Amino acid sequence: MTPFRTVAGVFAAIQTVKAGAAGFCTNFFPDGQKLQDWVERNELHGESCAGALFLFRRDHDFSRLYFCAASPAALRAGIATLAGLRNERIVVDLVGKESAPGEIFLALEAAGFRRYQQLCRMARPGQSALQAAGGAELPVTLAGHADVPAILALLEGAFDRYAEQLPLTAEIENAVASGQIFVVRLEGVLAGLLFFETQGVTSILRYWLVAEAFRARHVGAALMRHYLATQSTVRRFLLWVIASNDNAVQKYRRYGFVPDGLVDHVLASEPIYNENHR
Amino acid sequence: MKTIADILKEIRPEFDFTTSTDFKADGMLDSFDMVTLVATLDKTYGISISGADIVPENFQNLETIAALLRKNGVQP
Ligand SMILES: CC(C)(COP(=O)(O)OP(=O)(O)OC[C@H]1O[C@@H](n2cnc3c(N)ncnc32)[C@H](O)[C@@H]1OP(=O)(O)O)[C@@H](O)C(=O)NCCC(=O)NCCS
Repeated sequence: MTPFRTVAGVFAAIQTVKAGAAGFCTNFFPDGQKLQDWVERNELHGESCAGALFLFRRDHDFSRLYFCAASPAALRAGIATLAGLRNERIVVDLVGKESAPGEIFLALEAAGFRRYQQLCRMARPGQSALQAAGGAELPVTLAGHADVPAILALLEGAFDRYAEQLPLTAEIENAVASGQIFVVRLEGVLAGLLFFETQGVTSILRYWLVAEAFRARHVGAALMRHYLATQSTVRRFLLWVIASNDNAVQKYRRYGFVPDGLVDHVLASEPIYNENHR
Repeated sequence: MKTIADILKEIRPEFDFTTSTDFKADGMLDSFDMVTLVATLDKTYGISISGADIVPENFQNLETIAALLRKNGVQP
Protein backbone atom coordinates (compact mmCIF):
# COMPACT_ATOMS: atom_id res chain seq x y z
CA MET A 1 0.00 0.00 0.00
CA THR A 2 1.22 3.47 -0.87
CA PRO A 3 0.70 6.51 1.35
CA PHE A 4 -0.76 9.61 -0.32
CA ARG A 5 1.42 12.66 0.26
CA THR A 6 -0.74 15.24 -1.53
CA VAL A 7 -4.41 15.84 -2.27
CA ALA A 8 -3.51 16.26 -5.95
CA GLY A 9 -2.01 12.77 -5.84
CA VAL A 10 -5.33 11.37 -4.60
CA PHE A 11 -7.29 13.06 -7.40
CA ALA A 12 -4.77 11.93 -10.00
CA ALA A 13 -5.13 8.32 -8.84
CA ILE A 14 -8.94 8.59 -9.00
CA GLN A 15 -8.76 10.15 -12.45
CA THR A 16 -6.94 7.15 -13.89
CA VAL A 17 -9.90 4.96 -12.93
CA LYS A 18 -12.59 7.48 -13.91
CA ALA A 19 -11.33 8.35 -17.38
CA GLY A 20 -13.81 7.01 -19.91
CA ALA A 21 -15.51 4.70 -17.38
CA ALA A 22 -19.25 4.67 -18.05
CA GLY A 23 -20.03 2.45 -15.06
CA PHE A 24 -17.87 4.39 -12.61
CA CYS A 25 -18.84 3.72 -9.01
CA THR A 26 -17.45 5.07 -5.76
CA ASN A 27 -18.18 5.62 -2.10
CA PHE A 28 -15.55 8.36 -1.86
CA PHE A 29 -17.16 11.81 -1.53
CA PRO A 30 -14.51 13.68 0.41
CA ASP A 31 -14.89 17.19 1.62
CA GLY A 32 -11.82 19.21 0.54
CA GLN A 33 -10.67 20.21 4.01
CA LYS A 34 -11.13 16.74 5.48
CA LEU A 35 -9.15 15.18 2.66
CA GLN A 36 -6.36 17.68 3.27
CA ASP A 37 -6.33 16.75 6.98
CA TRP A 38 -6.21 13.02 6.26
CA VAL A 39 -3.26 13.47 3.90
CA GLU A 40 -1.42 15.73 6.35
CA ARG A 41 -1.94 13.28 9.20
CA ASN A 42 -0.67 10.50 6.94
CA GLU A 43 -3.90 8.54 7.41
CA LEU A 44 -4.61 7.79 3.75
CA HIS A 45 -3.10 4.89 1.80
CA GLY A 46 -3.99 3.56 -1.60
CA GLU A 47 -3.80 0.39 -3.58
CA SER A 48 -4.73 0.17 -7.23
CA CYS A 49 -5.31 -2.60 -9.68
CA ALA A 50 -6.82 -2.75 -13.17
CA GLY A 51 -9.97 -0.63 -13.16
CA ALA A 52 -10.13 0.03 -9.43
CA LEU A 53 -8.53 2.13 -6.73
CA PHE A 54 -8.87 1.35 -3.02
CA LEU A 55 -8.22 3.98 -0.38
CA PHE A 56 -7.71 3.01 3.24
CA ARG A 57 -8.07 5.65 5.92
CA ARG A 58 -6.82 4.98 9.41
CA ASP A 59 -9.54 5.74 11.99
CA HIS A 60 -8.79 4.93 15.64
CA ASP A 61 -7.90 1.22 15.72
CA PHE A 62 -9.41 0.23 12.36
CA SER A 63 -9.56 1.38 8.72
CA ARG A 64 -12.26 2.86 6.55
CA LEU A 65 -12.24 1.58 3.01
CA TYR A 66 -13.20 3.73 0.04
CA PHE A 67 -13.26 2.54 -3.55
CA CYS A 68 -13.32 4.05 -7.01
CA ALA A 69 -14.01 1.50 -9.72
CA ALA A 70 -14.66 1.61 -13.45
CA SER A 71 -17.71 -0.62 -12.88
CA PRO A 72 -19.21 -2.85 -10.17
CA ALA A 73 -17.58 -5.82 -11.94
CA ALA A 74 -14.17 -4.10 -11.73
CA LEU A 75 -14.83 -3.48 -8.05
CA ARG A 76 -15.62 -7.13 -7.45
CA ALA A 77 -12.53 -8.30 -9.36
CA GLY A 78 -10.28 -5.70 -7.74
CA ILE A 79 -11.35 -6.24 -4.18
CA ALA A 80 -10.70 -9.97 -4.51
CA THR A 81 -7.02 -9.19 -5.16
CA LEU A 82 -6.52 -7.29 -1.88
CA ALA A 83 -4.53 -9.48 0.46
CA GLY A 84 -5.58 -10.02 4.07
CA LEU A 85 -8.84 -8.10 3.78
CA ARG A 86 -10.84 -10.67 5.73
CA ASN A 87 -8.58 -10.53 8.77
CA GLU A 88 -8.33 -6.76 9.00
CA ARG A 89 -10.68 -4.51 10.94
CA ILE A 90 -12.33 -2.54 8.13
CA VAL A 91 -15.53 -0.54 7.73
CA VAL A 92 -17.14 0.54 4.45
CA ASP A 93 -19.87 3.18 4.15
CA LEU A 94 -22.23 2.95 1.20
CA VAL A 95 -24.33 6.07 0.87
CA GLY A 96 -27.23 6.18 -1.52
CA LYS A 97 -30.85 6.93 -2.09
CA GLU A 98 -32.10 3.37 -2.35
CA SER A 99 -32.47 1.08 0.57
CA ALA A 100 -30.69 -1.71 -1.33
CA PRO A 101 -27.31 -0.81 -2.87
CA GLY A 102 -27.46 -3.82 -5.23
CA GLU A 103 -24.42 -4.87 -7.20
CA ILE A 104 -21.92 -2.93 -5.10
CA PHE A 105 -23.20 -4.49 -1.92
CA LEU A 106 -22.93 -7.95 -3.48
CA ALA A 107 -19.33 -7.26 -4.51
CA LEU A 108 -18.45 -6.23 -0.96
CA GLU A 109 -20.31 -9.17 0.52
CA ALA A 110 -18.34 -11.51 -1.72
CA ALA A 111 -15.18 -9.98 -0.21
CA GLY A 112 -16.37 -10.84 3.31
CA PHE A 113 -18.16 -7.67 4.43
CA ARG A 114 -21.37 -7.89 6.46
CA ARG A 115 -24.21 -5.43 7.08
CA TYR A 116 -23.31 -3.79 10.35
CA GLN A 117 -25.51 -0.75 10.85
CA GLN A 118 -27.75 1.64 8.92
CA LEU A 119 -27.89 5.40 9.30
CA CYS A 120 -30.46 7.72 7.82
CA ARG A 121 -30.04 11.38 7.03
CA MET A 122 -32.58 13.81 8.47
CA ALA A 123 -33.08 17.40 7.34
CA ARG A 124 -34.85 20.44 8.68
CA PRO A 125 -35.54 23.75 6.92
CA GLY A 126 -33.84 26.70 8.58
CA GLN A 127 -36.92 28.72 9.22
CA SER A 128 -39.32 26.12 10.57
CA ALA A 129 -40.91 26.96 13.89
CA LEU A 130 -40.04 24.99 17.02
CA GLN A 131 -43.06 23.07 18.23
CA ALA A 132 -41.69 22.88 21.73
CA ALA A 133 -38.37 23.27 23.48
CA GLY A 134 -37.92 22.93 27.19
CA GLY A 135 -34.82 23.69 29.21
CA ALA A 136 -34.89 27.46 28.64
CA GLU A 137 -33.54 28.03 32.14
CA LEU A 138 -30.45 25.84 31.68
CA PRO A 139 -27.19 27.66 30.85
CA VAL A 140 -25.80 26.74 27.42
CA THR A 141 -22.26 27.96 26.65
CA LEU A 142 -19.57 27.37 24.08
CA ALA A 143 -17.14 24.61 25.05
CA GLY A 144 -13.68 25.70 26.13
CA HIS A 145 -10.29 24.09 25.71
CA ALA A 146 -10.52 22.56 29.20
CA ASP A 147 -13.67 20.64 28.15
CA VAL A 148 -11.91 18.65 25.42
CA PRO A 149 -11.06 15.52 27.49
CA ALA A 150 -14.58 15.36 28.96
CA ILE A 151 -16.15 15.82 25.50
CA LEU A 152 -14.01 13.01 24.11
CA ALA A 153 -14.85 10.70 27.03
CA LEU A 154 -18.57 11.40 26.70
CA LEU A 155 -18.57 10.76 22.95
CA GLU A 156 -16.48 7.61 23.20
CA GLY A 157 -18.69 6.22 25.94
CA ALA A 158 -21.92 6.73 24.02
CA PHE A 159 -21.28 6.27 20.31
CA ASP A 160 -20.19 3.36 18.16
CA ARG A 161 -16.89 4.35 16.58
CA TYR A 162 -17.41 2.02 13.61
CA ALA A 163 -20.78 3.44 12.58
CA GLU A 164 -20.70 6.99 13.86
CA GLN A 165 -17.33 8.44 12.81
CA LEU A 166 -16.03 9.58 16.18
CA PRO A 167 -13.78 12.64 16.10
CA LEU A 168 -10.13 12.62 17.12
CA THR A 169 -8.86 14.93 19.86
CA ALA A 170 -7.48 17.30 17.20
CA GLU A 171 -10.90 17.60 15.54
CA ILE A 172 -12.55 18.36 18.87
CA GLU A 173 -9.91 21.00 19.57
CA ASN A 174 -10.54 22.61 16.18
CA ALA A 175 -14.29 22.56 16.74
CA VAL A 176 -13.87 24.16 20.16
CA ALA A 177 -11.59 26.83 18.67
CA SER A 178 -14.12 27.65 15.96
CA GLY A 179 -17.08 27.78 18.35
CA GLN A 180 -18.82 24.65 17.09
CA ILE A 181 -19.53 22.82 20.35
CA PHE A 182 -22.19 23.93 22.82
CA VAL A 183 -22.23 22.45 26.32
CA VAL A 184 -24.33 22.44 29.46
CA ARG A 185 -22.45 22.05 32.74
CA LEU A 186 -24.41 20.95 35.81
CA GLU A 187 -23.22 20.07 39.28
CA GLY A 188 -19.67 20.80 38.19
CA VAL A 189 -19.59 18.27 35.34
CA LEU A 190 -20.26 18.21 31.62
CA ALA A 191 -23.93 17.23 31.43
CA GLY A 192 -24.37 17.42 27.67
CA LEU A 193 -23.00 18.68 24.37
CA LEU A 194 -24.04 19.54 20.86
CA PHE A 195 -21.30 19.43 18.21
CA PHE A 196 -22.05 20.97 14.82
CA GLU A 197 -20.44 22.21 11.60
CA THR A 198 -21.95 25.22 9.90
CA GLN A 199 -20.78 26.08 6.42
CA GLY A 200 -22.62 28.89 4.67
CA VAL A 201 -26.34 28.16 4.61
CA THR A 202 -26.01 24.52 5.72
CA SER A 203 -25.37 23.24 9.21
CA ILE A 204 -24.56 19.63 10.05
CA LEU A 205 -25.40 18.48 13.55
CA ARG A 206 -22.68 15.94 14.25
CA TYR A 207 -23.37 14.83 17.83
CA TRP A 208 -26.11 15.59 20.32
CA LEU A 209 -25.43 13.87 23.60
CA VAL A 210 -26.45 14.09 27.25
CA ALA A 211 -24.65 12.12 29.98
CA GLU A 212 -26.88 9.31 31.21
CA ALA A 213 -27.27 10.75 34.70
CA PHE A 214 -28.73 13.96 33.24
CA ARG A 215 -31.08 12.57 30.59
CA ALA A 216 -34.79 13.43 30.45
CA ARG A 217 -34.14 16.65 32.39
CA HIS A 218 -34.35 18.97 29.37
CA VAL A 219 -30.59 19.29 28.94
CA GLY A 220 -30.92 17.97 25.39
CA ALA A 221 -33.78 20.36 24.70
CA ALA A 222 -31.78 23.33 26.01
CA LEU A 223 -28.85 22.48 23.72
CA MET A 224 -31.08 21.96 20.69
CA ARG A 225 -33.06 25.14 21.25
CA HIS A 226 -29.86 27.16 21.62
CA TYR A 227 -28.27 25.62 18.54
CA LEU A 228 -31.28 26.17 16.29
CA ALA A 229 -31.74 29.72 17.55
CA THR A 230 -28.12 30.77 17.06
CA GLN A 231 -27.75 29.53 13.47
CA SER A 232 -29.92 32.27 12.05
CA THR A 233 -28.34 32.32 8.58
CA VAL A 234 -28.71 28.57 8.11
CA ARG A 235 -31.33 27.44 5.60
CA ARG A 236 -30.85 23.69 5.92
CA PHE A 237 -29.96 21.59 8.97
CA LEU A 238 -28.72 18.06 8.37
CA LEU A 239 -27.74 15.12 10.55
CA TRP A 240 -27.08 11.39 10.33
CA VAL A 241 -28.62 9.11 12.92
CA ILE A 242 -28.66 5.35 13.41
CA ALA A 243 -31.99 4.41 11.88
CA SER A 244 -32.92 2.13 14.78
CA ASN A 245 -32.19 4.76 17.47
CA ASP A 246 -35.88 5.44 18.03
CA ASN A 247 -35.29 7.68 21.03
CA ALA A 248 -33.14 10.09 19.03
CA VAL A 249 -35.18 9.86 15.81
CA GLN A 250 -38.37 10.74 17.70
CA LYS A 251 -36.70 13.67 19.41
CA TYR A 252 -35.26 14.95 16.14
CA ARG A 253 -38.73 14.77 14.60
CA ARG A 254 -39.99 16.84 17.50
CA TYR A 255 -37.57 19.58 16.44
CA GLY A 256 -38.68 19.46 12.81
CA PHE A 257 -36.18 17.03 11.28
CA VAL A 258 -37.49 14.48 8.78
CA PRO A 259 -35.66 11.72 6.87
CA ASP A 260 -34.58 13.08 3.47
CA GLY A 261 -34.18 9.71 1.77
CA LEU A 262 -30.41 9.36 1.98
CA VAL A 263 -29.19 6.20 3.70
CA ASP A 264 -25.71 5.10 4.81
CA HIS A 265 -25.24 1.33 4.87
CA VAL A 266 -22.31 0.60 7.14
CA LEU A 267 -20.61 -2.68 6.30
CA ALA A 268 -17.93 -4.25 8.46
CA SER A 269 -15.32 -6.94 7.94
CA GLU A 270 -15.78 -10.13 9.92
CA PRO A 271 -13.49 -9.31 12.87
CA ILE A 272 -15.58 -6.21 13.65
CA TYR A 273 -18.89 -7.85 12.81
CA ASN A 274 -18.15 -10.84 15.05
CA GLU A 275 -17.00 -8.63 17.91
CA ASN A 276 -20.42 -6.94 17.94
CA HIS A 277 -22.82 -9.73 16.90
CA ARG A 278 -21.75 -12.53 19.18
CA MET B 1 -35.71 23.59 -21.93
CA LYS B 2 -34.91 23.85 -18.23
CA THR B 3 -32.08 26.14 -17.25
CA ILE B 4 -29.25 25.11 -14.93
CA ALA B 5 -30.75 27.34 -12.25
CA ASP B 6 -34.11 25.52 -12.62
CA ILE B 7 -32.42 22.15 -12.19
CA LEU B 8 -30.52 23.30 -9.11
CA LYS B 9 -33.72 24.73 -7.68
CA GLU B 10 -35.37 21.31 -8.05
CA ILE B 11 -32.52 19.63 -6.16
CA ARG B 12 -32.30 22.25 -3.38
CA PRO B 13 -35.44 24.42 -3.47
CA GLU B 14 -34.44 26.25 -0.30
CA PHE B 15 -31.43 27.99 -1.88
CA ASP B 16 -31.03 30.82 -4.37
CA PHE B 17 -28.19 29.62 -6.59
CA THR B 18 -28.10 32.80 -8.67
CA THR B 19 -26.56 34.75 -5.78
CA SER B 20 -23.59 32.46 -5.12
CA THR B 21 -20.22 32.23 -6.85
CA ASP B 22 -19.09 29.23 -4.80
CA PHE B 23 -21.83 26.72 -4.06
CA LYS B 24 -19.65 24.50 -1.89
CA ALA B 25 -18.20 27.26 0.28
CA ASP B 26 -21.67 28.72 0.71
CA GLY B 27 -22.97 25.33 1.87
CA MET B 28 -25.41 24.96 -1.01
CA LEU B 29 -24.28 21.73 -2.67
CA ASP B 30 -22.75 18.77 -0.92
CA SER B 31 -21.06 15.82 -2.60
CA PHE B 32 -24.29 13.82 -2.68
CA ASP B 33 -26.19 16.69 -4.34
CA MET B 34 -23.46 16.75 -6.96
CA VAL B 35 -24.17 13.14 -7.88
CA THR B 36 -27.89 13.97 -8.29
CA LEU B 37 -27.02 17.05 -10.33
CA VAL B 38 -24.83 15.10 -12.76
CA ALA B 39 -27.56 12.49 -13.29
CA THR B 40 -30.14 15.23 -13.90
CA LEU B 41 -27.92 17.16 -16.33
CA ASP B 42 -27.23 13.93 -18.26
CA LYS B 43 -30.95 13.19 -18.52
CA THR B 44 -32.13 16.72 -19.27
CA TYR B 45 -29.59 17.45 -22.02
CA GLY B 46 -29.14 13.89 -23.33
CA ILE B 47 -25.40 13.84 -22.60
CA SER B 48 -23.04 11.73 -20.54
CA ILE B 49 -20.71 13.83 -18.43
CA SER B 50 -17.42 11.99 -18.20
CA GLY B 51 -16.27 10.72 -14.82
CA ALA B 52 -13.08 12.76 -15.19
CA ASP B 53 -15.17 15.94 -15.27
CA ILE B 54 -17.02 15.22 -12.05
CA VAL B 55 -14.72 17.36 -9.94
CA PRO B 56 -15.73 20.19 -7.57
CA GLU B 57 -14.21 22.94 -9.80
CA ASN B 58 -16.77 22.18 -12.52
CA PHE B 59 -19.68 22.62 -10.11
CA GLN B 60 -18.57 25.75 -8.34
CA ASN B 61 -21.23 28.09 -9.76
CA LEU B 62 -23.68 28.58 -12.64
CA GLU B 63 -20.91 29.76 -14.98
CA THR B 64 -18.63 26.73 -14.43
CA ILE B 65 -21.57 24.35 -14.92
CA ALA B 66 -22.49 26.18 -18.16
CA ALA B 67 -18.88 25.77 -19.34
CA LEU B 68 -19.05 22.04 -18.59
CA LEU B 69 -22.26 21.74 -20.61
CA ARG B 70 -20.70 23.64 -23.55
CA LYS B 71 -17.78 21.19 -23.43
CA ASN B 72 -20.40 18.45 -23.86
CA GLY B 73 -21.88 20.20 -26.92
CA VAL B 74 -24.84 21.83 -25.15
CA GLN B 75 -25.64 25.56 -25.33
CA PRO B 76 -27.31 26.12 -21.95
C1 LIG C 1 -31.01 12.32 22.53
C2 LIG C 1 -30.56 12.98 23.84
C3 LIG C 1 -29.41 13.92 23.55
C4 LIG C 1 -31.75 13.78 24.42
O1 LIG C 1 -31.31 14.46 25.62
P1 LIG C 1 -32.22 14.59 26.92
O2 LIG C 1 -31.62 15.61 27.79
O3 LIG C 1 -32.46 13.25 27.50
O4 LIG C 1 -33.58 15.11 26.30
P2 LIG C 1 -34.63 16.11 26.96
O5 LIG C 1 -34.99 15.69 28.33
O6 LIG C 1 -34.18 17.50 26.80
O7 LIG C 1 -35.83 15.84 25.97
C5 LIG C 1 -35.84 16.36 24.64
C6 LIG C 1 -37.28 16.54 24.22
O8 LIG C 1 -37.94 15.28 24.20
C7 LIG C 1 -39.05 15.29 25.12
N1 LIG C 1 -39.08 13.98 25.78
C8 LIG C 1 -38.29 13.54 26.74
N2 LIG C 1 -38.63 12.31 27.09
C9 LIG C 1 -39.64 11.97 26.30
C10 LIG C 1 -40.42 10.80 26.16
N3 LIG C 1 -40.20 9.73 26.90
N4 LIG C 1 -41.38 10.82 25.23
C11 LIG C 1 -41.61 11.90 24.46
N5 LIG C 1 -40.89 13.03 24.55
C12 LIG C 1 -39.92 13.05 25.44
C13 LIG C 1 -38.74 16.39 26.10
O9 LIG C 1 -39.90 16.91 26.67
C14 LIG C 1 -38.05 17.39 25.24
O10 LIG C 1 -38.98 18.13 24.46
P3 LIG C 1 -39.26 19.67 24.76
O11 LIG C 1 -38.27 20.42 23.90
O12 LIG C 1 -40.64 19.87 24.33
O13 LIG C 1 -39.04 19.90 26.19
C15 LIG C 1 -30.17 11.91 24.89
O14 LIG C 1 -31.23 11.00 25.01
C16 LIG C 1 -28.92 11.16 24.53
O15 LIG C 1 -27.83 11.59 24.85
N6 LIG C 1 -29.04 9.97 23.88
C17 LIG C 1 -27.91 9.16 23.50
C18 LIG C 1 -27.12 9.78 22.39
C19 LIG C 1 -27.95 9.91 21.12
O16 LIG C 1 -28.65 8.99 20.74
N7 LIG C 1 -27.82 11.07 20.47
C20 LIG C 1 -28.51 11.34 19.23
C21 LIG C 1 -27.83 10.77 18.06
S1 LIG C 1 -26.49 11.81 17.55
